Amino acid sequence: MVAVASRLTVDCRGQSIREVNRAIREAVAAGERSIRVLYPEARHNLAVALLAPVEIEIEGSVGYYCGGMGDGPRITISGSAGWGLAECLMDGQVICRGSAGNGAAASIRGGRVVIHGNAAARAAISLKGGTVIIGGSTGYMSGFMMQKGTIVVCGDAAEGLGDSMYAGEIFVGGRIAGLGNDAVEQPMTAEDIVRLEDLLEEYALPGDARRFRKICTGGRLHNFNKHEFDMWRAAL
Amino acid sequence: MCGIVGYFRKVDSEGPIGEVMLRMITALGCRGPDSTGLALYGGKRRSGAVVRVKLADHTESSRQATAILNALAGMSEIRTSAVDDGVLRVELGNGAAATAVERAVLRSAPGSEVFSIGRRLDLVKRVGTAADLDASFHIRGFRGTHAIGHTRLATESKVDISHSQPFWAHGRPDLATVHNGHITNYVKLRDLYETRGHVFYTHNDSEIIPAYLGEQIDRGATLEQALHRSTADLDGTFSYLVATAEELGLAKDGFSAKPLLMAETDEAVVVATEEIAIVAACGRDVHAAELPAREVRVWSR
Repeated sequence: MVAVASRLTVDCRGQSIREVNRAIREAVAAGERSIRVLYPEARHNLAVALLAPVEIEIEGSVGYYCGGMGDGPRITISGSAGWGLAECLMDGQVICRGSAGNGAAASIRGGRVVIHGNAAARAAISLKGGTVIIGGSTGYMSGFMMQKGTIVVCGDAAEGLGDSMYAGEIFVGGRIAGLGNDAVEQPMTAEDIVRLEDLLEEYALPGDARRFRKICTGGRLHNFNKHEFDMWRAAL
Repeated sequence: MCGIVGYFRKVDSEGPIGEVMLRMITALGCRGPDSTGLALYGGKRRSGAVVRVKLADHTESSRQATAILNALAGMSEIRTSAVDDGVLRVELGNGAAATAVERAVLRSAPGSEVFSIGRRLDLVKRVGTAADLDASFHIRGFRGTHAIGHTRLATESKVDISHSQPFWAHGRPDLATVHNGHITNYVKLRDLYETRGHVFYTHNDSEIIPAYLGEQIDRGATLEQALHRSTADLDGTFSYLVATAEELGLAKDGFSAKPLLMAETDEAVVVATEEIAIVAACGRDVHAAELPAREVRVWSR
């Protein structure tokens, strides 16, 4: 006997998002591990708070906060995403084939968020772990106050990159329009290059890992120093 | 919140703008349940102008409309006139100066308010939804070249037709704006413009934007230059759209605090607060992307 894998399809047309999310959650609770979501039509809050390693394939564009607060799901979006994509992800993977709006992957604690197109302003701010990979360019103040984790930008980064970051690493393949307060460039290590090569290969993203630049915290904002008051005034 | 939308046909021919705009602002209805408005641009430049006036008092509206028409008849041939929901629409046969028309209206009907004057522009707005707007002003069949629209969630000033958007730049035919955000140096700028004789009709901070752009253009700036300057001179959060007889423009604040996405098809440039409105206008296969901070764009024909 060969078991035929069932695959649930959820059509968003004519349903409220609450109904769609309930249908997904009930299917997951019943043991479903692969779900297709059709006709999302850029609506908000799709596939949020999923706590199981379920495959969710969304065919089309999604609105705000798609995949937010997930712990374990593997979500793929064939179109683009609005603001707050995968916000507060704990673990799992969210892949967006198109571009993402402001605040993509904000405050994630783990897992991976991969955006094949561009990310808008404030991508991966307050990152608390995990990996955020952007195939295109990223907008203003990406990585602001990140505390842990890794950001990879294959294209360009806009102004204020890594502003006031506490820790973690940002790798940029293209041009950096400007670093934020206390973000500094550090030399790439051999381990960094190997790790980047693996990530780029895994998601079939462009770029030569050896040509990326690495941005880290300068550490000068970790402790207040009254002799560096001007730097603090600029940062605040 | 608020929602803003813009649609600009790349080809210089008329299309079903009224129908497309209704779909877009309906999609953004949940972002702005208080009021809805559109600035619609017809393809043919009229020899005269369309004037929209909010009459001061519904019970007195027919008397007021007569007084306004009598005053305008002394300046221009009157082609058509009608009153819908307390708003008078007059089509003038020849082009009297916008400031003279506005002055004549206000003198003949104290307490009325000129919503718009334009050779291509027709501006409609009201408290309520997109469906309410169409029920009052019958815009579904409007054919034109471009348009901007707004759905409002009031945060700073009262909910009535006067405080609804779009806002017209008084004295400058065809120039109208829609704004999502909050202009925090509004009081300072308004004081400045009032000393220069500019009249404000509402307490909505968004009314400063057409006043600002109109003044920049009067001083010789192109629309694009005026938009660039506004990103430094206007303080606060904004994504706004501006339309003239021939152009559509946009500007975004330096923090990208408010959303604005853009998509382009063979036929048109489409901008909207959320992708949901772009899907409503062009279908689901169009690539829409958030615009960067401090972005300025202008399309013209």
